[in-house]
Amino acid sequence: MTIKRRTFLAATSAIAILATPVALSAQELPGNVRMVIGSTSTGGDTYQNSSIVAEALGEHLGINIRVDAVGATEAFKALERDSSGSTIMIFHDQSYLGHLYGVQGYEDPFANYVVGPTVAINPGNAYLVPADSPYQSMEDIFTAAANGERVRVAIQPGGVSEIGFSAMKNAASVMSPGSEDNIVPVNTGSQSDKNQAMWDDLADVINGSIQANEQFTQLPEDDATAMRFVWITARPGTLEQAPAEGMGGTSRDELLQYASPQTSVTLDGAEDFTFDKEFFFLFNPDMDPAIIDQIDTALTEIFAAGEIQERQKASFFIPNFLPSEEARAHLTEKRDTYGQVIEQISAE
Amino acid sequence: MLEIITPLFLMLIVAGTFIGIMFGAIPGMTATMAVAVSLPLTFPLGLENGLALLLGLYVGGIAGGLVPAVLLGIPGTPSSLTTTFDGYPMSKKGEGEKALRIGIVASLVGGLFSLAVLYFFAPPLAGFAIKFSYVEKFLIIFFALTVLAALSSDMLLGIFSGVLGVFISLVGTYDISDGGNGKLRLVPPGTEYWLDSGFSLLPVLIGIFGLTAILAQAELGMPKELDAKDIHVGRRSTFSFSIFGGQITNLLRSSSIGTFVGMLPGVGGSAASLLSYSYAKTFSKTPEKFGKGEPAGVVASESGNNGLTGGALVPLLSLGIPGDSTTAILIGAFTLQGIQVGPLFITNNPVTWDAMIFAMLIANIAMFAMMYFAIRYFALLVTVPKHILFPLILMMCVIGSYTINYGIMFDVWTLLIFGLFGWLAVKLRLELAPFIIGFILGPSAEVYFVKSLESFGDYTIFFTKSWIAAALWVLIIGSLAMSIVLAIRAGKNGTQDG
Amino acid sequence: MGAWTQVSIDFETSHLYFPTLIGALLVVLGLAILLRDRARIAGAGRYWRDVFAAMDKLRFFGTIVLTVLYFILMVPIGRIWPNTGMGFLLCSGPYVLLTGLLFMHERPWRQVAALTAIAIAGPAFVWWLFTGPFFLTLP
Repeated sequence: MTIKRRTFLAATSAIAILATPVALSAQELPGNVRMVIGSTSTGGDTYQNSSIVAEALGEHLGINIRVDAVGATEAFKALERDSSGSTIMIFHDQSYLGHLYGVQGYEDPFANYVVGPTVAINPGNAYLVPADSPYQSMEDIFTAAANGERVRVAIQPGGVSEIGFSAMKNAASVMSPGSEDNIVPVNTGSQSDKNQAMWDDLADVINGSIQANEQFTQLPEDDATAMRFVWITARPGTLEQAPAEGMGGTSRDELLQYASPQTSVTLDGAEDFTFDKEFFFLFNPDMDPAIIDQIDTALTEIFAAGEIQERQKASFFIPNFLPSEEARAHLTEKRDTYGQVIEQISAE
Repeated sequence: MLEIITPLFLMLIVAGTFIGIMFGAIPGMTATMAVAVSLPLTFPLGLENGLALLLGLYVGGIAGGLVPAVLLGIPGTPSSLTTTFDGYPMSKKGEGEKALRIGIVASLVGGLFSLAVLYFFAPPLAGFAIKFSYVEKFLIIFFALTVLAALSSDMLLGIFSGVLGVFISLVGTYDISDGGNGKLRLVPPGTEYWLDSGFSLLPVLIGIFGLTAILAQAELGMPKELDAKDIHVGRRSTFSFSIFGGQITNLLRSSSIGTFVGMLPGVGGSAASLLSYSYAKTFSKTPEKFGKGEPAGVVASESGNNGLTGGALVPLLSLGIPGDSTTAILIGAFTLQGIQVGPLFITNNPVTWDAMIFAMLIANIAMFAMMYFAIRYFALLVTVPKHILFPLILMMCVIGSYTINYGIMFDVWTLLIFGLFGWLAVKLRLELAPFIIGFILGPSAEVYFVKSLESFGDYTIFFTKSWIAAALWVLIIGSLAMSIVLAIRAGKNGTQDG
Repeated sequence: MGAWTQVSIDFETSHLYFPTLIGALLVVLGLAILLRDRARIAGAGRYWRDVFAAMDKLRFFGTIVLTVLYFILMVPIGRIWPNTGMGFLLCSGPYVLLTGLLFMHERPWRQVAALTAIAIAGPAFVWWLFTGPFFLTLP
């Protein structure tokens, strides 16, 4: 169905395009929009989520929106160059976490860009141990660290994969000051590298996801690749919205066991640390704010219609639409919390 | 199972294979791109039909790279790089048609072999593949790098070119998603804006092979008389299946290497054909003929890179881990339909699994049928006058470079930079094939080398890690010894043509 | 094993480890080449004079200049009609035509007409294919 629309648009547009150069009324998204994303993978969650949104938004507004998986640095560059509204971006918490962790190529998105509406959550961020690990729970891990045992955690440094690790260190230092030094990172790359680090016995705990690692938790315990969840970082309210059947052989109720409040990784001794990977829009700071309003309105209507939620849930995303204002407030607060966590553990 | 095999299913495989071959055959277009652009189409098609299309594209795309590699000396896709080493010299000798036929048969054997391995042995092999830690993966890459010595016509300059390729490949950030720390290095001050992600492989490859070749022709003033003769497809030498008489071992060995290397996540597609080529040369009775139009070289390269197709699916379907960049995109097709890929995929989705195997089988057969009988038409490609062919190739290279990373202009400039570099390098007697091999393998060599030392803290780990490491050292030393013996022999005969 | 084989890599500086190693290797190989080929290197001036003397300068530099112009113009022209691939479409035609003319030896009108047709149809078809069915971004 999309083919027909695209082919038709492409075929008829050439002449129409030439007739209508730049001076478009700037209060609206132009007819051809490029949505750059912070990931280079077209098989990953950012791409999937963005294409669901791009398709819905494009159809609703009767315009073309292309999703280009150019990666974070290039996406920010493209966004910076173009204030006309013909380039917009979708990314997730990595955009500010990268900055908080001081990764090359990441600037403060709240200061340099305009943060727009959130659209969905990937609730899958998780930590796992080998099936035959002595650690049955996060509690065991913290106890081990407090007893002077070194716990090696495989992560991809500098962002979403590290934030849970930072939270572990922070919790360890809250519960038993000094024990955080026994929780050490094993810096790896992709998910397959992290799994491999576990299988090579280079890591005791790995960062992973419900989607990518659930099947490994279903393997018989004597399988060398078998794993167990120990922690899912999502907010309980997020996971509760997941389909009741959960993922694969693990029901939602079983997943909830590994998340706060049943599994607690404390933030400050009172509250639990949680992390949801939220996808949101980013805009060029000089873009006409009317375009943001247009997108907010369009998304409000799309989410009211309810179809997009089905698409999102089918791909294990939790629908999470917040219009720009609310999204900005929410994300700023979130950023501040994580900023403190990171500051605390690096201050020591 | 049977209810899946509908006319639409079959049609999608055939159409996918056909489009894949086109993508593979046009310099600058790759199998990865074919799969990526078609991914959104698979959502309305449904899982099995969508996979039929994508697998057809994958098989066709890898195989199609053979055509320009043989006829123009430009690899249509990075994994057909080694096909140019002997395929193009064969074309120049007027044996282009023969080289194509050999390549197509080898592709079919490689494709079917890896498919059989996938079907019968996927889970146990995936279990074996995960025994390859950083150390073993580094040694595999190192083994592939030893082909540098064997390929060079002047060993010192060849190795220098290869090491330079590695060096240039390290420019930019030490990529976090590969396990690096995300910091910049080797970037001249003032160029950070463009160079922070380094140079992309595809523009470098087509710059060095496509643009360099065209510049060299321009320098010679587009010699007209070469039009017909230079790239003559040739009836002069005939093809018969008896050529494969002495190649059975080579075929099976290269197919196995391709399949196995495909299984190792992160080692990557191009290493498959490099390794099988290197191995074929090392163990050949006439290694000196390699690089000068030796059919065995085409056999090794093509059966190796098509062996990749089944191999790369092994870790994907039995661990949920993609074996190469194309299968990484296939994950998207599954998740779009809400299907989990992981160790239980085959058990949980027997119908889809059978459908995939069947689709790959048909795709391989369709690929063979289309390419084998279309050789005459492929040959028409080289009868197109250069003043039309070259500008169009340049334009396609631009499109390929621009779209490979979804719209980055610097990739287009990279094409030009490396086109000029290639021209200059030839003048300086540097060698392009070793350079590009170094460039392709450099990033993985770095990650696995540094991570091995980071994890184990001792250089001896490369020798003591496992029996696999020890076995790899035997191969590495064998390959190096062979290159040295050959160089000495060539030196004695005074045939050094560097 | 002795301590001399041991190595400790700090993750923060690990991005320099391999480049340093490869750089050193490159220098060693470079020096070896200098030493071995010093005679040939001394004659480089002559060599390059010969290269340039034998070169078809018009076609060689013409190709480079046209390609540079093609790349430079594509982006600003494309930005007039954002995200439509017009920069590619409007620049590729002239580029194919001009390089084609440059590469031709005689320019009989029939061949020029054929080239012109291809320079119009080729880019147009590719533009349609990539922005339409393939739905990709072009400059």
